[in-house]
Amino acid sequence: MSKVSYLKRYWQMYALLSLPLIYFFIFRYGPMYGVQIAFKDFNLFQGIGGSEWIGLDAFREVFNMREFYTSLRNTFMLNFLDLVVSFPAPIILAIMLYEIKSAWFKKISQTILYIPHFISWVIIGGIVYQLFGNQSGMINEVLQGLGLNPIPFLTEKGPWLVTYLFTGVWQSAGWGTILYLAALTGVNRELFEAAEVDGATRMKKIWYITLPSIKPTIVTLLILNLGKMVSIGFDRPYVIGNTAVREYSDVLSTFVYRIGLESGQYTLATVVGLFQAVVGLVFILGSNYISKKMTGNGII
Amino acid sequence: MTVNANQKVLKKALGIGLSAVMGMSLLAGCSSNANGNTNTASNGGTATDGGSKERVTLKVEIFDRGNSPAPYTITNNYLSNMVQERFGDPNNIDVEYVPVQRSEEVTKLNVLMASNTDVPDIVFTYDSSVFYRYAQQGGLTDVGALLDEHGPNLKKFLGEDTLAFGQLDGKQMSIPGKRAITGRYTSYIRQDWLDKLGLPVPTTTDELYTTLKAFKDKDPGGLGSKNIPMGMALAPAQFETLIYSFIKPIKGDLTYGQRYELPLHDGFKDAMQFLNKLYNEGLVSQDFSLDEDKTQLSKDIQNGNVGFWSEDVDNIFYAEGTLDNLYKNVPGSKVTAADVLTNANEGNKYIKSRYASNGMYIMIPKSSKRAVEAIKYLDWMASDNNLIDIYSGVEGENYDLVDGIPVVKADVAQEFADRLFNAGDMAIISNGKNIGDQATNEKAWISGFPERNQEMLKQSIDIANTDTVGPIVFGKPIEAESKYGTTLSDKLSVIIVKTAMAKPEQFEAVYEQEMKDFMSLGGTQLKEELEAALKDL
Repeated sequence: MSKVSYLKRYWQMYALLSLPLIYFFIFRYGPMYGVQIAFKDFNLFQGIGGSEWIGLDAFREVFNMREFYTSLRNTFMLNFLDLVVSFPAPIILAIMLYEIKSAWFKKISQTILYIPHFISWVIIGGIVYQLFGNQSGMINEVLQGLGLNPIPFLTEKGPWLVTYLFTGVWQSAGWGTILYLAALTGVNRELFEAAEVDGATRMKKIWYITLPSIKPTIVTLLILNLGKMVSIGFDRPYVIGNTAVREYSDVLSTFVYRIGLESGQYTLATVVGLFQAVVGLVFILGSNYISKKMTGNGII
Repeated sequence: MTVNANQKVLKKALGIGLSAVMGMSLLAGCSSNANGNTNTASNGGTATDGGSKERVTLKVEIFDRGNSPAPYTITNNYLSNMVQERFGDPNNIDVEYVPVQRSEEVTKLNVLMASNTDVPDIVFTYDSSVFYRYAQQGGLTDVGALLDEHGPNLKKFLGEDTLAFGQLDGKQMSIPGKRAITGRYTSYIRQDWLDKLGLPVPTTTDELYTTLKAFKDKDPGGLGSKNIPMGMALAPAQFETLIYSFIKPIKGDLTYGQRYELPLHDGFKDAMQFLNKLYNEGLVSQDFSLDEDKTQLSKDIQNGNVGFWSEDVDNIFYAEGTLDNLYKNVPGSKVTAADVLTNANEGNKYIKSRYASNGMYIMIPKSSKRAVEAIKYLDWMASDNNLIDIYSGVEGENYDLVDGIPVVKADVAQEFADRLFNAGDMAIISNGKNIGDQATNEKAWISGFPERNQEMLKQSIDIANTDTVGPIVFGKPIEAESKYGTTLSDKLSVIIVKTAMAKPEQFEAVYEQEMKDFMSLGGTQLKEELEAALKDL
């Protein structure tokens, strides 16, 4: 096929592709121009171009801030625990949904499970306070009514972690099943029939057919999640966290918000952002490499 | 597979695609700019464009609290039209308001200032460190000469004392608004609870403790686990009043002005120890650490669960506000405003914080080409009857003049009341109704509240004005404040929460640890700089 006829035939494809490309250039690559703020003494009124270069001074300052290390540690800790607790949840849920035979019950369950995903974290925060507060929370009111001591779900570090993780699972597990369910629709039903003929139990079928068939999806999502180890959403720790558990709830994103947007130290905030991006890149490349070695599946 | 086979073609196509994308994104960039401009331009438009060539546009920041009553909008309403009519048209100026969300004022202001071209000609902030930062980075117009030339009324209205707040190294880099009322906080107690227990209104901090104990043990409200003897929130109106009743002011009736400088005072530890005692004995709201915006506290007060609390002086008196709701929810309930918290470290006076005599910092960005018009606008606001007209609306419709004080009509029609929904935000040169001396201002202020609450509000204000301690004005930026301010104010919250919630036997250790943290996070530098600045005064 000549180049001309190739282009003639496929130009629509490229036109379609150009839309996401434009998006990426404007919103993902364009802002990278601002990365240089990390190396400049950023003056609001001189703009990025007019500010003076200061080399790595800002990096030194950030790496000398104890708060930075606390929030870095918390970011890793919360993300790691999330990975342990929240990552398997949608897999288990998806398999359970897949095993449901009644179509209408499956549909209803799915819908119910998706709903929390569409609730904003601010609202979830409100619900969490109403449920788990010491004096005002519903659960503790019941406990006290039964003559038990209230559990400080929100104001002590240990119980707070559980609350944080639990709300995360509650909010995202249902939505997370979508990808797995999609992968499962591709499984050849004949495999199950054959297994049944061979006398496989339900657990055996799950173990030898269902799980292997979503393995690539699991690995891909795991890699993506590992790549995000150093980046953490802003809403959840900010909303669920509070002063009493600041030692655990202060993460890089809330740290950046505080020094960058609230106190206007853009240079320091950019340094942290850049640091996050670099570490994130290392993580994603590293986990991709390991996964390729171990399972033959990767994303790059 | 054809795609793989035609790698070269793909590369070329990609190249074309990329350059097309780049071109488009450049175009997009331009057009979005153009859009931005037209948008802001259309925001004003309160008057038709004059024919004259010299007609110019003056852009003024305005807080948007999302409470514009129909048919008004935040940029087109009774007051904006009045300004256009009385100030704009005669001076051949189009006044255009640029709305900024109240809750994200500083972040939005930072963005506006950075944009250079879109920034309004008049901006403002309450935060002195934001003002100092802009001034030091060279972003503000020196208005000294302009004020002399175009702002005689404004200068007279503000006075030298207020103007001094806006000076940096002797240069007038901002115009501080004038604050009408400097009283801040008052405490309240449930009189019906006291009556039930046959107790007097406590008059010292020690007596308060005994009273709170009685509230807890005898539960006069019959509330069980919902009983909150003392209402608390992680908000200044609650913890500042408590802390001020223990600390020793730095310099007579003046002390360090920033909240996060409280831990640098003698007596701070006593305050924390007292709070720790209250918390551990179940005398204060057990969830106060989660309540940074006082939502839970006001709810608890309105439901009649709280025996004693402190609040901003005016907070509970608004129509359908906390007090009205409490009286409605709990028949027979009665609240008394009381001055209770005495400071043993300062001669048992009722030490409490007061505002500085300035309001917000009004600034003219350096990039503004309308500095003269901006000063004229502020001067217009300060002259004749304009400020009263902005604050109080139309005589006979919105207010009656009683002894020279505009008193809000009790039965003012909604249509007329709506005119003034943003009056406080329009009158930027005046924080509160500045009519005459403080007593007159207070009278005017009180008159705006429902009549049933006016008497207690008056008592509240009197209490708030007793034994007040104001902020020291250094007349120069404290570097450590702009550098560590956010971190330290965050740390202050942590200190309060941690020390309050520690077990009594662990208090010492927790307090030591938290204070060590505070000092190492910038507290040391802040302390040194403040002490040095104090010597230079």
